[in-house]
Amino acid sequence: MAMGQSVLDVDDNNFESEILKADKPALVDFWAPWCGPCKAIGPAIKELEETYGNSIIFARCNVDNSPNTPTQYSIRAIPTLILFQDGKVVDQVVGAVPKSHLEEFVKKVL
Amino acid sequence: MHQDLYDVAIIGCGPAGLQAAIHAASKKAEVIVFGRARKSGLYKAHIANFCCYERPISGKDLLEAGRKQAESFDAVFVEEDIIETKNENNLFSLVTESGDTFTSRTLVLCLGVTRKKLRVKGEKELVGRGVSYCVDCDANFYKDLDVAVVGNESAAAIGAVTLLSYAKTVYLICRKLMTTDTLYEKLKNSNVKIIEDTWVKEVIGTNEVEGVLLKNGETLKVNGIFVERGAKSALELAANLGVLFDTEAVSFIEVNKKQETNIPGLYAAGDITGQPWQIAKAVGEGCVAGIEAAEYAKKLAGA
Repeated sequence: MAMGQSVLDVDDNNFESEILKADKPALVDFWAPWCGPCKAIGPAIKELEETYGNSIIFARCNVDNSPNTPTQYSIRAIPTLILFQDGKVVDQVVGAVPKSHLEEFVKKVL
Repeated sequence: MHQDLYDVAIIGCGPAGLQAAIHAASKKAEVIVFGRARKSGLYKAHIANFCCYERPISGKDLLEAGRKQAESFDAVFVEEDIIETKNENNLFSLVTESGDTFTSRTLVLCLGVTRKKLRVKGEKELVGRGVSYCVDCDANFYKDLDVAVVGNESAAAIGAVTLLSYAKTVYLICRKLMTTDTLYEKLKNSNVKIIEDTWVKEVIGTNEVEGVLLKNGETLKVNGIFVERGAKSALELAANLGVLFDTEAVSFIEVNKKQETNIPGLYAAGDITGQPWQIAKAVGEGCVAGIEAAEYAKKLAGA
């Protein structure tokens, strides 16, 4: 499931500038193209982006291409979604969770 | 290695799968059905609300009768789980737990819904910190570490073998393995350390998984535990084909009135499309899916 252009692709190189030093909170979806559950939550994330995209950065990080960032955040399962604010982790959620659960989750930084 | 090309392949032999098989096969489509009847939620149930059966009937009896009925229309049954699905050149290829490959013009998913979690102490707290429900997704995070897989069926057995390519030590914790002989032999001849006749009592760890406590009193030091109950789930088998799931629960496959998913030639029926989880709904959807799949396959074959 290809996501729209509005979900930002981040990697090991630009993670600091795009997420940690961003002037807005960010939701980062750590995923991989071969991961079924990651594909399954794609549409829910896209829908949330349409609702909250103005106040929160929606980004995704392919763990295959960027091994350092997942290690830094002790990621051991995908999809893992981490919410960042002012360079710090606010909270994280693991697995293909329901959209309502994700919505409550992103509201933590609103 | 099977080379035959089927018109309709059905994963799951509960009421949805059986009804799909009966309708597709009665339309003269070449039909193959995968799965084990005893895994249907219906198998152990007694049904008192299914139309036209005034007295409660046993699920087992219904399923056995349905299989005979489908076989009378020449549907072929393979009592194995599917561990991999691919969609290439308008054809679906399916790999069974024994490693056989089957090809079909259409695919009907009647996988039902299964409980994935163990519901033991420490499990919920350590999800994503060593507790995983998807070997295919997360094996790569356990390079040179020690892991345990827990489960009694094909997903656990295949998962354990897969993890051997990544982890240092792989344990398989099971009450009793229920797989095909081929898969069992493969497992026995591998480096997987099988611990039978027990189950997980508790997942140990504070910030991350440090071990598992077994019901036999033994403690295994592991960095990760993969919970792989039953067969591979729709999320693992179907999401890779690009199938859309409902966004609300991310558990159910989205279908239209024809039981079509967003992928041409791919259908879903029964519990996997959402509630109500009733035999009546399952057979209704199975009927539609079977007819639609058979017609689609005919068009494809004639093209």
